[in-house]
Amino acid sequence: MNYGHPLTFGTFITPGADPGADAVSLAVRSEELGYDLVTFPDHPDTFDTWTLLSWVAGRTSRVGLSANVLDLALRPPAVLARAAVSLDLLSGGRLSLALGAGQGTGEAIDVIRGMWDEDGGPLRFDGEHYRLGGAQPGPPAAHDVPIWLGAGDARALRLVGERADGWLVSLDERGPDRIRAGNKLIDEAAMAAGRDPREIRRLVNVPAQSGVADLLPLAVEDGIGTFILMSDDPEAVERFALEVAPALREAVGPTGRQLRRASVRAVRRAGIDYDLVPASLPVIEPGDPGYSRVRSTYLRGGAPGLVIRPGDAGQVAEALAFARAHPHLPLGVRSGGHGISGRSTNDGGIVVDVSGLDSIEVLDRANRLVRIGPGARWTDVAAALEPYGWALSSGDYGGVGVGGLATAGGLGFLARDHGLTIDHLRAVEMVLADGSVVRASEAENADLFWAVRGAGANFGVVTAFEFEVDEVGDVGWAQLVMDARDTATFLERWGAVQESAPRDLTSFLIVSPPRAGRPATGHVMAMVNAGVPETVIDRLQPMADIAPLLDQQVVITSYAAVMANAAGDGHNGQGEPVTRSGLVEHLTPEFAAAAARLIHSGAVYFFQIRSVGGAVADVPAEATAYAHRSANFSVIAFGANRQRVDKEWARLEPYVNGLYLSFETDGRPERLGDAFPPGTLRRLRELKARYDPDNVFRDNFNIRPEES
Amino acid sequence: MTDYGHDLLFGAFVTPTAQPATHAVEVAVAADRAGLDLVTFQDHPYQPKFLDTWTLLSYVAARTERVRLSGNVLNLPLRHPAVLARSAASLDLLSGGRFELGIGAGGFWDAIEAMGGRRLSPGQAVDALEEAIRIFREIWAADEPGGVRVDGEYYQVKGAKRGPAPAHDIGIWLGAYKPKMLKLTGRAADGWLPSLSYLQGGPGDITEGNKHIDEAALSAGRSPADVRRLLNLSGRFASSSRGLLDGPPDQWAEELAGLALDHGVSTFILMADEPSVVELFAAEVAPATRELVTAEREK
Repeated sequence: MNYGHPLTFGTFITPGADPGADAVSLAVRSEELGYDLVTFPDHPDTFDTWTLLSWVAGRTSRVGLSANVLDLALRPPAVLARAAVSLDLLSGGRLSLALGAGQGTGEAIDVIRGMWDEDGGPLRFDGEHYRLGGAQPGPPAAHDVPIWLGAGDARALRLVGERADGWLVSLDERGPDRIRAGNKLIDEAAMAAGRDPREIRRLVNVPAQSGVADLLPLAVEDGIGTFILMSDDPEAVERFALEVAPALREAVGPTGRQLRRASVRAVRRAGIDYDLVPASLPVIEPGDPGYSRVRSTYLRGGAPGLVIRPGDAGQVAEALAFARAHPHLPLGVRSGGHGISGRSTNDGGIVVDVSGLDSIEVLDRANRLVRIGPGARWTDVAAALEPYGWALSSGDYGGVGVGGLATAGGLGFLARDHGLTIDHLRAVEMVLADGSVVRASEAENADLFWAVRGAGANFGVVTAFEFEVDEVGDVGWAQLVMDARDTATFLERWGAVQESAPRDLTSFLIVSPPRAGRPATGHVMAMVNAGVPETVIDRLQPMADIAPLLDQQVVITSYAAVMANAAGDGHNGQGEPVTRSGLVEHLTPEFAAAAARLIHSGAVYFFQIRSVGGAVADVPAEATAYAHRSANFSVIAFGANRQRVDKEWARLEPYVNGLYLSFETDGRPERLGDAFPPGTLRRLRELKARYDPDNVFRDNFNIRPEES
Repeated sequence: MTDYGHDLLFGAFVTPTAQPATHAVEVAVAADRAGLDLVTFQDHPYQPKFLDTWTLLSYVAARTERVRLSGNVLNLPLRHPAVLARSAASLDLLSGGRFELGIGAGGFWDAIEAMGGRRLSPGQAVDALEEAIRIFREIWAADEPGGVRVDGEYYQVKGAKRGPAPAHDIGIWLGAYKPKMLKLTGRAADGWLPSLSYLQGGPGDITEGNKHIDEAALSAGRSPADVRRLLNLSGRFASSSRGLLDGPPDQWAEELAGLALDHGVSTFILMADEPSVVELFAAEVAPATRELVTAEREK
């Protein structure tokens, strides 16, 4: 029987007297020679194989890794499961877990798979060999780590058929008949268990002198997909790679792809050609470990059919090529997954998740130039810059990713002193819709650089940002909770104080409607870009005077400490956020009255005003795609019901001029005109026609290409 | 004044965060490049937010050139001592003698039991650790005749093969706080590795701990100087002084020199998850501290 598996080749290396020299260098050589897999035997009374595998993972970059086979006797399976996940994560998804089949192996597989199932809850297991009392499973591995069994007797072979992803056997003097008989037992057991025998890879350890004539029948007639050369002789390893493997591949001819487990296939989504995903591209499909961590975002529930997690710009290009082959599907691009307007998840579509591109690197200390990946989070950026005495104004939450914010604007706590985040951008590297990788700055692709600073999501996937950051020392950080029962007066006063304050004060205000007998409250979060207590007090006092203080907290701290407010990884948002955004010049009495009615209408549960202005307005409106430079305030309202929010928001519209693209979820086309003034929008459409004529990047506040 | 005269080492205590898995590796590589002496990781095999520390140590060893590595501290109850001994020797061989064995008796027994481990009382756990230390040393004594026989109450090794012999004399460092464990440290270990934040009496508790260790060492026929005193620290670099280890690097150096000269601490392990913090510790605190201590010792 042929199982349609693509042929792979491996080496079987026995550590000798000096494993650091012999075994490791042969493993590295195996990778250089193009082998797919490096394996080591596991004898508990010698050199430790797990240590060697982990070390070799650190010295190689591509080749698959496995024991051949792991002895379970001295390795508790729950700990082994976590170690396997760790090695898979560290190696970038290169581990296969090959276990020796014996007493208790079936139970060990249950424990290991249970420990890998993050969504399964605490693992209780009461077996004959193993007992677990509520172990915490997770984290998910980097890929669906296959479990292979080294099996000889009938019972073990049946276990392979019922439970394993592969069968590992040595070709010995008993010859291919043994393999044939084993396959038969495995296939029968698989089918009896409702599985497809093609789900199970067949791997054979072959002697050093094996040639094409020996192996071809095994591949063609017995469906062997992996040949592992048992030799520690570098010449034999080389000869096999350069002569036998290519000749065997050619003689066997084209093969298919390994069939994924039935449980994985069952939850695939229609319209996605999963077989087209390049093998080297890290992806998570609905049946894969870790899917529950990547399906949703901070504010949205989602169920994408495929999440692609590129590790570099080349893989971003591959991901976009795959997306382009599926033009009928939604395409989300995700950095931190905090987007309000940004659709970084979807239902049944494709998500390109760049969270892995998260490096933070100082390029030029004298000029404070820093290169940051789109997947870094602002809390990490702030922490990395702090020891240099630097900071980069971002937003108000450290969990937000760099990519989404730094292509839209960035309204942060240092905005009035240091401008928007995009105002610090000096260059980007990005992958365009056609897969080309370009650099954009004032000097190269200047019009693209203009567009990226405010409308980046429509033009490509930025894979690196280069920022010139600011020298920022200690800051004053205050949280003031005030009585805002006279909401209109409160808003007006806060606006007046904020607008007339020196630039070193940037504050954000959240106004909450009355609830549970408590009047409406205003919660001011204010940063004073000065570490001197007198200055901090001086800036805050007028603000504290605008209404009775209910609570206050003022500290001298660092920007990084303020940004260290992010929760851990993984999002589990539900539903769709309903928001409206508006930019406002001044909090006039008319605006304040309208806003107070909105806040008290019951239609919104969260209402925030961020101060901007100051340095933000120093930049000419036409300098970046973010054009509403004269606004002193950015307003956002969250509600539960779209119609109600829109209806109440309409009161504010006379006083609003523009919106902040990242905070708007109203999908009506006129919002585009609010986000971009006519001249800006015209230029964006022209550029869209040039850089993304097929409108590949369309699921985020879409700027349609200009009809030519 | 207590000073055992050990050379000073500076290290990092890096969170073995599972996601992103590259985090700990990046900090370790930065520490290696910055010239720090030691990188350590805590070990909580029951904690799904962390990587398996053994796997991480082995991987990081392969990605670094010079820096020494240790668990801080390894969890004995979920690791078989004979396997751990061979793993330690293997890693020491692969890394060219860069591995040290920081280990603890275990503490979170509910979680240990949930993972299939055996629940012990704190006192039993110390006895088990003592048996494990015998097993480590026996396995590493590759040239001794015969197999390893340790017939302990918690661990039985019946004629296991010896070896491999590690590349260097691996230090066994114990995370110890209570008298029984401190005495074991003095009797059988090569280092004492507490965290300053767990010493409720602050640096004063180091004196108390040293006393237990020194007495136990002497009554076991050892010298107190056979036991290195290590300390996990947390702190913050700031432009002005705000408290212990919260201020500019020269303030840190003064304070660490004080810990070295007054309390005998010779290894300072900073809890650090930022490459830049590690770099500052290596570039500015370590040389200044060494200078102060050397000057004082030469007086």
